[in-house]
Amino acid sequence: MDDELDLWAARRAPRLLAQAEAQAVAVLRDALVKAARREGRDDPMPAPPDRPAAAPLPTGEIVWAYCVVRAQDAPPVEIEGVAGGRVERIEAHGLAALVGRVPAAHFTAEPLREHLNDLAWLEEVARAHEAVLQQAFAAATIVPLRLCTLYESDEGVRRMLDHERAMLIDALDRLQGLQEWGVKVIVDPERLAHAAGEASPQAATYEQELAQRTGGGAYMLRRRLERHVRERADALASDVAAAVHARLQDWAVDAVARPAQNRELSGHDGEMLLNAAYLVEAQRVDGLHALADELEDDHAHLGARIELTGPWPPFNFVEGAIG
Amino acid sequence: MSTSIVERDVALIDLVDRLLGGGVVIAGDITLAVADVDLVYLGLRALVTSVATAEERHLLPRMGNSL
Repeated sequence: MDDELDLWAARRAPRLLAQAEAQAVAVLRDALVKAARREGRDDPMPAPPDRPAAAPLPTGEIVWAYCVVRAQDAPPVEIEGVAGGRVERIEAHGLAALVGRVPAAHFTAEPLREHLNDLAWLEEVARAHEAVLQQAFAAATIVPLRLCTLYESDEGVRRMLDHERAMLIDALDRLQGLQEWGVKVIVDPERLAHAAGEASPQAATYEQELAQRTGGGAYMLRRRLERHVRERADALASDVAAAVHARLQDWAVDAVARPAQNRELSGHDGEMLLNAAYLVEAQRVDGLHALADELEDDHAHLGARIELTGPWPPFNFVEGAIG
Repeated sequence: MSTSIVERDVALIDLVDRLLGGGVVIAGDITLAVADVDLVYLGLRALVTSVATAEERHLLPRMGNSL
């Protein structure tokens, strides 16, 4: 039932926010009109203060860059990209950048920053960028570029390919035949605390003492026991995360542990112990799934779930990624 | 519940983590600064919090009652 409520709430939220905003604007407008009328009885409406004219919106198109591939690999991308644009390629020195044209009015620095506050806009752009990357990645080794890498002209893209040639070629060689997979380990916090308590001789001692006490002494002892179990649970959480990460890391070509996701943002149930990315040979992906199943079974007593996402282009294994 | 906004949002956070936290950072005429990325996360969180607050204040009826 909670799930349904969450769902319903999430679906309603944008409309409720919009309604609230519209109401607030209406109230504000009424108040301003009233104030203006009151003043109007005595004085004529004051002239609006001189304001500098807003800078005109930039016109024309600029270049959105998706990823870099080897020129001979450059895969055809048939889908529409960001802002509905066709995906083209710009070649230089044996490399090709997949790019699209986007309206300058929305994608130059200032309007872009404003649009980023609009989650619906961000989501549309992020999904369009990702869809192009996925299609290219299905056919070739790619170096994904971070969202919102833009150039004023094709010449700018060629200059980038020229300047970054060594790094890009190195990355393309290194990433050949590899995929990124996301792995999250989520456990049931109550079962984690229970397991931590069970494993602690100190907790058992507290429990025994507690059975013999009453009143204030018992209260203090119970607080101490609870704190002890919390600490043991935190330690167990770190141990489990480290152990799972070590197994996967041994197995993968490369690995990056990232901060656990905020529960409010990800909506997961339970406690996320690990949020990591692994670079895996495309032919060995079955093995990754098998290992994840095995690790999930190993931690079944914690109610562990191991969630795999992928294959992703190697976002976390290129220069500049926040790993 | 195979297609839901909640699930879409879960995927969105994974996407944002990768598209804004990963990918090669390369000189462009326009690129996002770290501060811009932080703002995106703030925006995401504000949306989630406003839903939670509305729910707390019973602005949103509990769906279970009507089922």
